[in-house]
Amino acid sequence: MRSFNISMENPLVPPPEPEVTVDVVVIGGGPNGLIAAAYLARAGLKVVLLERRQEMGGGLATEEILYPGVYANTHAVYHMMVDYMPAIRDFDLSRHALTFIKPNLQTAIHFSDGGSMILCQNLQDTADQIAKYSGPDAKTFTHKIRLYRRFVDEILAPATYYPPAPPVEFAVNLGRTELGRELMEISELSPREVIEKTFGNEKVRALMLYVSCMWGLDPDVTGLGFMVPLLIWRNMNKCLCVGGSHKFASALGKEILGSGGRIFEISEVTNILTENGRARGVETYDGRRFLAKAVLSSLPPQKTFLDLVGKDSCPRELAKAAEGWKWDKWSLFTLHLALKEPPRYRAADRNAGAAFMSLLGLESQNDVMAVVDAALEKRLPIAAGHATTESAHDKTLSRVHGLSTAFFQVMAPYDIEGGWEKRKGEAERALLDGWRRYADNLTDENIVMKTSESPLDIERRNPAMVNGSIKHGDYSSLQMGFFRPNDLCSQSGTPIEGLYLCGASMYPGGLILGGPGYIAANAVAQDLGVKPWWTTPEAIKSYVRTYL
Amino acid sequence: MIPHYDVVVVGGGPNGMGIACYLAKCGLSVCVCEDRLELGGGVENAEPLPGFRIDPHATYFYGAAGPPVTQLELAKFGFRLNYYRDLMGAVNSRGEAVSLSLYDAERSAKYLERYSKRDADAWRLYAGMPRDSMVRLLRSIYWTPPPPVGMEIPREDLPWVKVLRENLPLFDMSWLDLSLFEILDLLVENETLKAGMGMSAWYNGPHPDWAGTGIFGLTCNLLHGISSGSPAGGMHTLAHALARACMHHGVRFLTNCKVEEIIVEEGAATGVRLSDDAPVGFRTIRADRAVISGVHVKSTFQKLVAARHLPLDFLERVRGISLKGSSLFTLALITTEGPKWTGDAAEIYGETYPTCIFMPCDSVEMVRNQTRDVDSLNTHPVRPESMMVPVCQHDRCDPTRCPPGYHVLSPIYLQVPPPEDHAGGPRAVNEAKEEIIEAILRAIRTVAPNLTDDKIVAKFVNTPHDSSLRNLGFVGGGWYGSRQADDEWYDKRPLPELSRYRTPIERLYLCNQTSYPGGLALFAVPYNLMHILIPDLKLAPGEWWQPSPDFIPEEV
Repeated sequence: MRSFNISMENPLVPPPEPEVTVDVVVIGGGPNGLIAAAYLARAGLKVVLLERRQEMGGGLATEEILYPGVYANTHAVYHMMVDYMPAIRDFDLSRHALTFIKPNLQTAIHFSDGGSMILCQNLQDTADQIAKYSGPDAKTFTHKIRLYRRFVDEILAPATYYPPAPPVEFAVNLGRTELGRELMEISELSPREVIEKTFGNEKVRALMLYVSCMWGLDPDVTGLGFMVPLLIWRNMNKCLCVGGSHKFASALGKEILGSGGRIFEISEVTNILTENGRARGVETYDGRRFLAKAVLSSLPPQKTFLDLVGKDSCPRELAKAAEGWKWDKWSLFTLHLALKEPPRYRAADRNAGAAFMSLLGLESQNDVMAVVDAALEKRLPIAAGHATTESAHDKTLSRVHGLSTAFFQVMAPYDIEGGWEKRKGEAERALLDGWRRYADNLTDENIVMKTSESPLDIERRNPAMVNGSIKHGDYSSLQMGFFRPNDLCSQSGTPIEGLYLCGASMYPGGLILGGPGYIAANAVAQDLGVKPWWTTPEAIKSYVRTYL
Repeated sequence: MIPHYDVVVVGGGPNGMGIACYLAKCGLSVCVCEDRLELGGGVENAEPLPGFRIDPHATYFYGAAGPPVTQLELAKFGFRLNYYRDLMGAVNSRGEAVSLSLYDAERSAKYLERYSKRDADAWRLYAGMPRDSMVRLLRSIYWTPPPPVGMEIPREDLPWVKVLRENLPLFDMSWLDLSLFEILDLLVENETLKAGMGMSAWYNGPHPDWAGTGIFGLTCNLLHGISSGSPAGGMHTLAHALARACMHHGVRFLTNCKVEEIIVEEGAATGVRLSDDAPVGFRTIRADRAVISGVHVKSTFQKLVAARHLPLDFLERVRGISLKGSSLFTLALITTEGPKWTGDAAEIYGETYPTCIFMPCDSVEMVRNQTRDVDSLNTHPVRPESMMVPVCQHDRCDPTRCPPGYHVLSPIYLQVPPPEDHAGGPRAVNEAKEEIIEAILRAIRTVAPNLTDDKIVAKFVNTPHDSSLRNLGFVGGGWYGSRQADDEWYDKRPLPELSRYRTPIERLYLCNQTSYPGGLALFAVPYNLMHILIPDLKLAPGEWWQPSPDFIPEEV
């Protein structure tokens, strides 16, 4: 920390309390930290949430990056678990003018010949779209999607909000039902194998493989095949938060405050205080102390255990596990535009241009593999990815009358050759050229403002996303399920008594699932002997009865 | 079902949230409707480049000396204020520099002594005023409602005149008719000092050549000197603390909920109507006791209240309120080096760093040139002889502003005409962005030649036009709402009949910077308004409420 001797705290404004004693302190104001804090605060516990940035929300960020006057969701845009997340039901968030909308036209893939195909919320609409390219695939789809939906509704979604069981035990339990056996079967495959086994048409495969792998799932990694049904089904059910994703965060924040909790921004935690192997509280960069019975960290394992607790205060096994944590294999590069007129896509089907998400530059399964390869080989991103015209769905994002805002996002490596500070412009130009092939009105004349965000920028905004890791760490079978972040901590509690995890690096993972925060809240409430005011949703109860 | 609240506040800026907090603390149910997705109005920050926080609008909180900070318990809700020991700097193109401090008056005097013994002595006298008296003086000016409408007060009985006479030996009653430059001519001789203080006054409100406002030009420096600071983490943290205080007392906030109309029935405000796309299940909110407008006086009466409820002559006077004098072009520079000065400046600003530095501060004539460009010729200044700009650099006191190895020179301000008045049309400043940036950089480089293009990573500009789009409260992109000239000040602000925050519409009150004492996020408007609402709404605040000792109630 640099030192500043030219200023001090104004004597007319009372200084902050040097030491605060509460029941629970939460490190990090991202979606999971907020959810955990909101549940526990309403349970009557004294809660303090500490956030490093000026604005809490973490990935739930809506900011004026197309400066001045035009806002964009800088991180999470597509909310895939709104239908399941207990927090959305348990709190009456609509009191805070929070509304999610779910368009029917969800994910369109655009082809260079003007063709297109759309994943719609409506299954039969989707089947009609697939039938444009393959009758058999359309038929397969109508059958498979019913199975996929059951996978998600009966197993995967409830499992998102319940602590994981050890793998052998879980496998035995899955074997109890036909559905469980089918899920196990698909889980052993790689995403690419699942897609190739299911669909025959190249264009259908391109669409299905991309939506399965777009958030960083390696198409060739085995053991995570269950992610394919989940991501295909949820890519037909994405929601948008009206007024920007940050509004979700601020509604949760209002719940915390309304229950008497406190939120402090510009309060980077630099130290988790431990005593005799037990967490006692935290210390912030300016020396303030927050003492608590339970400390919840939403940060990844290296940060939580090695940086904040300190390697010497960690049990050896835990330190070793933290050191072995692997960051996401690749990150994202995003080009944001403010436009006089919104992108006009060449697709003959006008519905494709109106879809929530447009996939561009992907004609075949090989194109998806090429994009992944470029990211894995640390090359400049290929202009193939997903685009959204944000203002078409949420006009509150533009304060400048008549201006639209849209972005194009692609997979990108963190440690690109030459460094992102030098190569940002190059990537920006490549993306714009690629985008123009599908929307030729994106001329220089039409673009009023332009900005782009590289993996380095992601890390600068959110240092918990080390190497631009949007999920706080890779999705591989060694870092998923019972092993996320490791077998000692995947239930939220850790070998350090009083210290809990509640972030995306914990089971079940990132992508605004709200799972880690919910599981952590349950764990802490139980350990502190607080009776939950919330009830477990029926779907979770039924899942627990059948599979745990 | 139509929701009911005791009070509905239009606009979630500092003034709207301030009064919401006061009223909720008195036990009223309060709802604040905000058009934008974030609360805070001009109390905002932006991060157009991840990791780099800039100030599109307000950059200092000036309200530390007022009662609201403690009454609303902002510190408890996370508000922290860093302050600079030096309130203002000015450097000329020969590298001669001043740096004024009220905390460290002797050091400032030593700097001044390099150029004039007389100036140093004058500063010792001014800065020697007891701290309590400074606070008392500021409160008597800013945190006191104007007298009842129509009441004539002899000038020797004006609250601040009494404080000045008791505490500042230099003060003379004749100053009440003088301009700031005329008062400075009586006291000091150094040109850079005079020009810097004059420019500082103009950027905070009253122009140094306006007769009768010299005192307020001087007290601007007191506000800067002891009552202001840069909130730790950025200006928007102030909005967070205030919003949290509000929520603690039960205020309901509705963001993205634009108020289309203030509903008036039988001459009284009874609620608001929201725009059709508000993300809530209702379009009307009832206010059982009062509606408070936290937006510009012009927006209030020209847009929100239907014209049929208002007298024609009143509407004409609202139309006539001048927007001049507070429209700023704001530049933020991300650099890899801070400014490196030559001459005395290198030594002085190596030791200290003021809230902002005026550069190049060569002559009083430059102040007048800039004024003439803006107010008389209705054009944006670009000629070198009118280019003097204040430069702030918050990373000097706040490590959270940017990653190590970088600097954020933000904000750098330049006065320009409001879009409505510009000779080249409303978009003229927006179209001249590049030209104005070049002119500002040329000016800065006369004193800090190291800031060459290769040291500049990014430039971000906010114009008054942009401000007025972003924030409907800023008509004309203005920062203080309206002129701080004699005719729009004190018991005439924004109009004589509106000066006590009441309006021709019963149960409709004003709480915006267009009311007395103006902008700068002082929380003075809501504090002053409380004096009016306590009797009107029959409020019974607790022990925490301390009215202004200078408040004059209406005669019963």
